[in-house]
Amino acid sequence: MRGLDVLTEFSMKAGQKIEPKKIKIDDTTLRDGEQTAGVVFANDEKIHIAKMLDKVGVHQIEAGIPAMGGDEKEAIKAITSLNLNCSILGWNRAVISDIDDSIECGVDAVAISISASDIHIEHKLRKSREWVLDSVKTSVEHAKKYNLYVSVNAEDASRADMEFLLQFARTARDLGADRMRYCDTLGILDPFETFMRVKTIIDIVGIDVEMHTHNDFGMAIANAIAGVKAGATYINTTINGLGERAGNAAFEEFVMALKYLENVDLGIDTRLFRDLSEYVAIASDRFIPTWKPIVGANLFVYESEIRASTTLIEPKTFELFGPEDVGLERKLIVGKSSGVHTLISKLESLGHKIGQSQAAELAEIVREKALSLKRALFDSEIIDTFNSFKAAGLKSAGTKNKGVDK
Amino acid sequence: MIVEDKERKINIIDTTLRNGEQTAGVVFSKHEKIRMAKMLDEIGITEIEIGTPSIGASEREIIKEIVASGIKGKLFTYTEAIPDNIRLAAECGIKNIIINISTSDLHIKVKYGQNRTWVLNQLKETIAAAKHYDLNFIISAEDATRTDLEFLLKLLHLAEKKEAYRFRICDTVSRLDPFRTFLLINTILNTVDFPIEVYNHNDFGMATANAMAAVRAGAVSLVTSINGIGEGTGNAALEEIIMALKYLENIDLGITTSRFREISEYVAKASARAVPVWKAIVGTNVFAHESGIHADGVLKNPINYEVFEPGEVGLTRQIVVGKHSGSHTILHKFKEFGIDLTINEANDILAMSRAMSVDLKRPLFDKEMMYIYKDYEDKNRKASDSHIE
Repeated sequence: MRGLDVLTEFSMKAGQKIEPKKIKIDDTTLRDGEQTAGVVFANDEKIHIAKMLDKVGVHQIEAGIPAMGGDEKEAIKAITSLNLNCSILGWNRAVISDIDDSIECGVDAVAISISASDIHIEHKLRKSREWVLDSVKTSVEHAKKYNLYVSVNAEDASRADMEFLLQFARTARDLGADRMRYCDTLGILDPFETFMRVKTIIDIVGIDVEMHTHNDFGMAIANAIAGVKAGATYINTTINGLGERAGNAAFEEFVMALKYLENVDLGIDTRLFRDLSEYVAIASDRFIPTWKPIVGANLFVYESEIRASTTLIEPKTFELFGPEDVGLERKLIVGKSSGVHTLISKLESLGHKIGQSQAAELAEIVREKALSLKRALFDSEIIDTFNSFKAAGLKSAGTKNKGVDK
Repeated sequence: MIVEDKERKINIIDTTLRNGEQTAGVVFSKHEKIRMAKMLDEIGITEIEIGTPSIGASEREIIKEIVASGIKGKLFTYTEAIPDNIRLAAECGIKNIIINISTSDLHIKVKYGQNRTWVLNQLKETIAAAKHYDLNFIISAEDATRTDLEFLLKLLHLAEKKEAYRFRICDTVSRLDPFRTFLLINTILNTVDFPIEVYNHNDFGMATANAMAAVRAGAVSLVTSINGIGEGTGNAALEEIIMALKYLENIDLGITTSRFREISEYVAKASARAVPVWKAIVGTNVFAHESGIHADGVLKNPINYEVFEPGEVGLTRQIVVGKHSGSHTILHKFKEFGIDLTINEANDILAMSRAMSVDLKRPLFDKEMMYIYKDYEDKNRKASDSHIE
């Protein structure tokens, strides 16, 4: 066992209460989501997504990259002119002309992004730490002249030297930046390290921190939650977790995890999640896996005997929230893992009655069928099977006694 | 922060063939199950759950065949704590079993209509049956994360006394976050020194993170499935767990990770569930770079945006040309085609490519890039021809 004392202390501290009012969602479906290799939104789609995000109650929308010009700029202008309730943010490199493009689009907030890790500074920017801080300085000063809300994004913060990251945060704070975005660009943090690094920045520099996490090791949501526990107040999410490589922290997962695991309700209208998710799936041409957390079509579909029969009596046995909370439905299907109770309930819902011992016999037939078809059965197939079973039973009534396994 | 322990090994028990198949709508054929068991064995997974004998005669036939297929690792079957079921496992030639019983008061009441004493007795009787058949057994506490801690510890003491192989903590409804996982496992291990295994579900997208937190707290074994396939949102994905252990926890289990993509594809086919292109570790998009900044960074040096080489998980790197591409990507792409562009040419072609990508609502194929290049050349030639005239 390793470093137990420190980690236990972390876990305890991380159990402290979070103030719901302070936590804000800054959704980047339209920026990092669209930046995903292969994804292009039409401008109409971008506008529609922005409206939906505003309707469910996100606090800020990262609408795109004005410096790309052309169509992109048109879309952002159209979004800012919608006069939505939420703030509209434009993404920029730490370059003055980028910020001018943002201003032209009418955004009220800008993110100014620059790498903070030596790896990036050396291998990508081919510059120095001083150059990075200078760029932050000139660009933040420029943005502040126009009274914009400014987020300074520390790209690749997770591989940055902590001392330099603190210097970076201090520089941003002293220039009047409103927050610093902590970018786990490669998705390499775990929740404990996230907690430690973010808490250090907040404790020492005292700047508002936003979490931007990636899912390369399946930790995007856990790291976002860890950031909030450490005191971060903004979370950068995307619908369906759309984003570069393995994607970002999924909006719907983060909101529900916060609500049901941490008891922090952001007041987002979660019932629209499935709709929102479907729309973005179509616009991005990426299907929603049926098993996708929160909004997957299969989440409230039960087949295996124990889960199916128990959930019918009391949904809470296998559900922390109900399907209606996210715009889904509860369903029973009958397949290889189904048993007597599932079958009886299913037949009942289809308008047929069957006794316990007969159901056991029929269940064996149904399982064989599912095995040979390599899938669960359709309702009409269940009814068919039931009818031929009944017919066969009438013929040989009372003569057969098949051994049936439980 | 963490005391490094290079020698530390974590056991993996894979349940693709058991809980994976229990997924609503998923049915594996016999051949697929045998093939998957062999694949897991070949890449170095030493414990495999292969099925549930009590499901029926056909399931038992498949289990028998897997047992006879010459797999080196330990094979487990799964059962609820019902003494009569133990014989079924023994008859399949199985030597290791998982005895599952719900331990939360809610489950005990709704699922069994019973009380805690009944749970203890049922477990004792099932253990006695397992011992009768000389089976190695893991005790699995379903809904352990909503179970009264004192009762859970009581069951752990029972497991210790009866010499269970391990004790499994099931986070059945994904009630935990990593911090709570750590506290729970840490608390348990401070009270009972017994090998703990953790079974995570992914309802809030935290299965892998919770598994890693459990490892940090001292758990010795994790339950996984390929592609994370399993009931509801599924389980902790084998490929994510192995790579997270290696790159985030510094624990290298020596698994043949270069076969991950192949195995993932196989299970995707067998379960009729596509691997999302963005699936962590094995999705085809994980090493695809389009945006100017990312692609440029990767072309300069892959460590800018990659933690490990794509070949390590059986993937390849791709540079995609689309709406977010930059001029460096264009230069690089055409170099691949054997054409050296000037910066000005690259910028012109970039503008044409972006416009086309916006129009098509997708990135461009290599062929389409060549068409753009031809159009561009034609246009230039015409311009210079008219100039000559």
